[in-house]
Amino acid sequence: MNRSYVGQSVPRNEDRRLLTGQALFVDDVQLEGMLHVAFLRSDHAHALIRGVDVSAALARPGVAAVYTAEDLGDYWRPGPLLVPPPPVEGLTFNEATQVPLAKEKVFHVGEPIALVVAESRYVAEDALADILVDFEPLGAVVDPEAALAPDAPILHTQFGTNLAAHVVQGHGDYEQAKAEADLVISRRFLYDRGAACALENRAVAARWDPKAEELTVWDTTQAPIPIRNGLARMLGLLESQVHVVAPFVGGGFGPKIMMFYPEEVLIPWVAMKLGQPVKWTEDRQENFYATTQERGQVHDAEIAVTQDGRILGVRDFFLHDTGAYDSYGLTVPINSQCTLLGPYSVPSYHSEFKAVFTNKITVTPVRGAGRQHGVFVMERLLDLAARALGMDPAEIRRRNYLGNEAFPYNHQIIFQDFSPLFYDSGDYLPALETALETIGYDSFREEQRRMREAGRHIGVGVVSYIEGTGIGPYEGARVTIDPSGRVRVATGLGTQGQGHYTAFAQVVAEVLDVDVEQVHVTTGDTREFGWGTGTFASRGAVVAGSACHAAAQAVREKILAMAGRVLEAVEEQIELSDGHVRVRGAPERSLSLGELARMANPLRGAVKPGTEPGLEATAYFGPDRGSTASGVHAMIVEVDPETAMVEIKRYVVVHDCGRLINPMIVEGQVQGGVAQGIGNAFYEKLIFDDSGQLLNASFMDYLLPTALDVPRVEMAHRETPAPMNPLGLKGVGEAGCIPTGAAFAQAVEDALPEYGLEILEIPLSPNRLFSLLEDAHDH
Amino acid sequence: MTIDGEYTFRAPRETVWELLQDPDVLVKALPGAKKLERIGEDRFDGIMRVGVGPVTAAEWSVNVQLKDLVPPESYAMQMEGKSPLGFTRGTGTVTLVAEDEATTRMHYHGDVQLGGKIAGVGQRLLDQVAKLLARQGLEALNREVEARLAR
Amino acid sequence: MKPAPFEYHRPGTTDEAVTLLAEHGWEAKLLAGGQSLIPAMNFRLAQPGVLIDLNNVEELAYIRDGDVGLHIGAMTRQRSAERSELVAARAPLVHEALPFVAHPQIRSRGTIGGSIAHADPASELPAVTLALEARFRLRSPRGARSVSADEFFTGLFGTALESDELLAEIEIPPPADGAGWGFAEISRRHGDYGLAGLAAAVQLDGDGKCSKARLALLSVGDGPVLATSAAETLLGAEPSEEAIRAAANAAAHRDIDPPSDIHASAAYRRRLVEVLTRRVLPRAFDRARGVDLKPITHEA
Repeated sequence: MNRSYVGQSVPRNEDRRLLTGQALFVDDVQLEGMLHVAFLRSDHAHALIRGVDVSAALARPGVAAVYTAEDLGDYWRPGPLLVPPPPVEGLTFNEATQVPLAKEKVFHVGEPIALVVAESRYVAEDALADILVDFEPLGAVVDPEAALAPDAPILHTQFGTNLAAHVVQGHGDYEQAKAEADLVISRRFLYDRGAACALENRAVAARWDPKAEELTVWDTTQAPIPIRNGLARMLGLLESQVHVVAPFVGGGFGPKIMMFYPEEVLIPWVAMKLGQPVKWTEDRQENFYATTQERGQVHDAEIAVTQDGRILGVRDFFLHDTGAYDSYGLTVPINSQCTLLGPYSVPSYHSEFKAVFTNKITVTPVRGAGRQHGVFVMERLLDLAARALGMDPAEIRRRNYLGNEAFPYNHQIIFQDFSPLFYDSGDYLPALETALETIGYDSFREEQRRMREAGRHIGVGVVSYIEGTGIGPYEGARVTIDPSGRVRVATGLGTQGQGHYTAFAQVVAEVLDVDVEQVHVTTGDTREFGWGTGTFASRGAVVAGSACHAAAQAVREKILAMAGRVLEAVEEQIELSDGHVRVRGAPERSLSLGELARMANPLRGAVKPGTEPGLEATAYFGPDRGSTASGVHAMIVEVDPETAMVEIKRYVVVHDCGRLINPMIVEGQVQGGVAQGIGNAFYEKLIFDDSGQLLNASFMDYLLPTALDVPRVEMAHRETPAPMNPLGLKGVGEAGCIPTGAAFAQAVEDALPEYGLEILEIPLSPNRLFSLLEDAHDH
Repeated sequence: MTIDGEYTFRAPRETVWELLQDPDVLVKALPGAKKLERIGEDRFDGIMRVGVGPVTAAEWSVNVQLKDLVPPESYAMQMEGKSPLGFTRGTGTVTLVAEDEATTRMHYHGDVQLGGKIAGVGQRLLDQVAKLLARQGLEALNREVEARLAR
Repeated sequence: MKPAPFEYHRPGTTDEAVTLLAEHGWEAKLLAGGQSLIPAMNFRLAQPGVLIDLNNVEELAYIRDGDVGLHIGAMTRQRSAERSELVAARAPLVHEALPFVAHPQIRSRGTIGGSIAHADPASELPAVTLALEARFRLRSPRGARSVSADEFFTGLFGTALESDELLAEIEIPPPADGAGWGFAEISRRHGDYGLAGLAAAVQLDGDGKCSKARLALLSVGDGPVLATSAAETLLGAEPSEEAIRAAANAAAHRDIDPPSDIHASAAYRRRLVEVLTRRVLPRAFDRARGVDLKPITHEA
């Protein structure tokens, strides 16, 4: 290997297409005779459907068809359970998965009841106004605590309760720890709902070709292969008859891995039923009602510490609002439960949660996927303990980090991948010290005092987190030397802006020593690669990247073996560099990789018995366990206590995602994650009223931070290689947004010490901060 | 959402009461009402096209049921409305107090729930819209009262 | 989010536009910059039967100085006014407030007249024109008339415009001797609807006493709200810190009945009005004394 690409900030291969508008998105798919779909969605959060009258809609000119649940026949059935509950002893799980169209009952505002197929989206939306639904409204369950009250209306009556799951995990003896503690801090913490708000909404287009007997589906999914497999099963087709393409997708953030959304089930069915191509593109208003959301937990948590700030134990009871259905299983609350432990030594831990059904949009992972909830609780408990002990917040963290000798470290509870929560590696203390140094922690108090004299209130927050990343089951990749000399890489992942076309190219280019731009990566096309799981849980680079590496290694071996034969030299004498093979010391005996690839596919004669044609290899990577990324976030805020407005002045991230493939891409991920985290902390909150109505279903009222509201993150990388994969990679997709709320709360409190505020909730709007300040003032 | 208020009519209580039961009067008083029919004792069906300023949106079909009538003092009502933008449901009470023989003070209280898209996009202005519609309705009713008395 | 069907007209002159308007009455809606109307139509909150697009009516886009003040054609883009040296010199409060109107991209399409005629209670320009005692020239096939800002704004999205009338021009009186001004608003994010805002136009007489104060608030009522009792506390007095504090209190607690919504409680809005008044007035009076100050905040 002459040239090193892994670790370089190589410009992205995909950007030319994206920036010049040449990248295909699902809504760009235009086919002759294409029809357009609009969905009639429930205005009620909880209601019985007594009847649906579509006759006027059917009579409207331009309408091709209108379907309700009744029209679906056997095709109407509850969707699959995506993730079964993990093997935790004594676990309760009540499974209720979503249906394609509501039949007898609606469980949340926005649940689809009927769909209109028309010559244009305009006509389809006009026809929605023609459909009459006779609802019998039922009492709505909105608050997760009220959901378990004895007189609460029941969503899924077959269970006789709104309890979706009950899970208890832990290790050590918390009661004992509490008895021995010098200080016990106990508080209630709230973390409310947010939306992912990908730039591109969801979209599905489908075409049935009766002559080829082939269904093509373009879908914004993060998991094209499972979608193909599921559609084949539901529609009675061979997997080979279903071709799913997830082209360029404008952001995933988790909700695009939910399977199956009703629209994903219905659009292909309609295309087959009508024999015409059909497309549905979610609009922004629908996205608020029809795409899954996250957050919504209430924690009653307690920490037991010694006088010198050492953690003896943590106990946490929490309620997790899973929304109307629990199709995604327990991934989110299990992540909360596990990630709470952070980078700390917690000798005893008792964690118990109840997931509850509510008449709200279904909850599935959104970037961070419950991790931020756990981090918020733990970091806040540490801050409160430090305050009570008169200790610096950074110091209490220092005293509790797991030392480097602790790894591999087993927390003896089960993680979302069904394996024990296991930290492969880490090096926490230097990250903290770097963050403190970068933000100027030591001189900050002086600065704070000077500003205060000028009537300004600034504060600093410093928090830690870990992130379990790179989980299985597996991904695969095929690497092929094209006769042109370029290298083709195909993997089963979908891509939503992560830079896969570049990161995977870098991995392969380094092994084969070709230019990165000579490596052409294909993702998200089931015809190109048909095995795999999907892009989620900060696993793409780790798992598919490792598969790409393995496939490239295998191709390298084939190249060297074949070059040895063709150039009549022993393999050890062949050198592979710059897209050529050469005999060492005899540079005239050289072939380009393209020439070699053509020879590997002979038109006359035969390859040697037992050898395969082509310079191509497929490889899979299935890690036993994930790899543990970690980091420290620090921020400085300025608070105006008169107006309750907060400005984030500086934001520092020191993170460790193992070996970096492309630092520029990593920095983009972290910066974007921080923007999302700042949104969660200060701007974004889905507000539901007592009847389950969503009150801010547009960007007028649901406030995403813009480029003007997010500071440029100052970043430092640390690289503690993961021992479980050949490149030492850890995931970074979610890191930016995980500890932001905790850092924000600490910093705001720090800016206003005289108020003695305790910020126990996220998001914290200025309106809410105003009332907290008023309360503090009154006391 | 709660709507509370009072309004004074320069008319005897019986006159105000009578007008409040008359669909031909109410159709003029309800903002944007295009049609209002009595479909049973104390039940009305209607079509409204609510306008705020120069903006007019979709038609709402409404059903109003009057209950607990204590002529000429008070009644309660239950209201349901539907449109492609969503639904509204509410209950209200109206109490008429005779200040003197020619003056009636109306106290009104309503609890209104909005659902669907209208609830999701209208929050910034809902409070103001409710106040506006109540004021428009009462002013229109007052005009009817004055017209009746002028006859 | 597709609009309901509508009939579309694109007149080339004001006369053609008002003729169409007279023909269709309230069924018709004028399309200026479309930054409020088009989203409302896409949400189907607004379903006008007829859309009369003014974007080809070039004669309505101008900024001219005149004897009685500055004349701004209703179709002048907000961004053009923001960059106009004439506006900066002759209507400095307008110049100071325009950067608070949404984002530059929106101001490039949004028009001065469209924002005023829309009369959203959270909009900056209605408050600014009210503070400045602007006059509006309205055109219809019946002729033209001029109304003051005090008469023009009648409530929630309500204006004095009749069904056949078009807002043609905004006339802003020039700053008098001893005039001062200031604008500020507090919003959740840069470019959002303000949770509360204040446009202040004041004047000092030769003795340094306040001879005029028009404080127009936004987002705290059903339209721009003149804080009249706050103004009264200032009139005839020297604008001392105490006087300003008293005015701020009056504005927050006597002049407004602010709404509570998902972004701000009424109590929070009162607080913001109090703070804004305390912060904007010293600046306005400093300017009245001839001290030139930069705006409180200014988008780059």
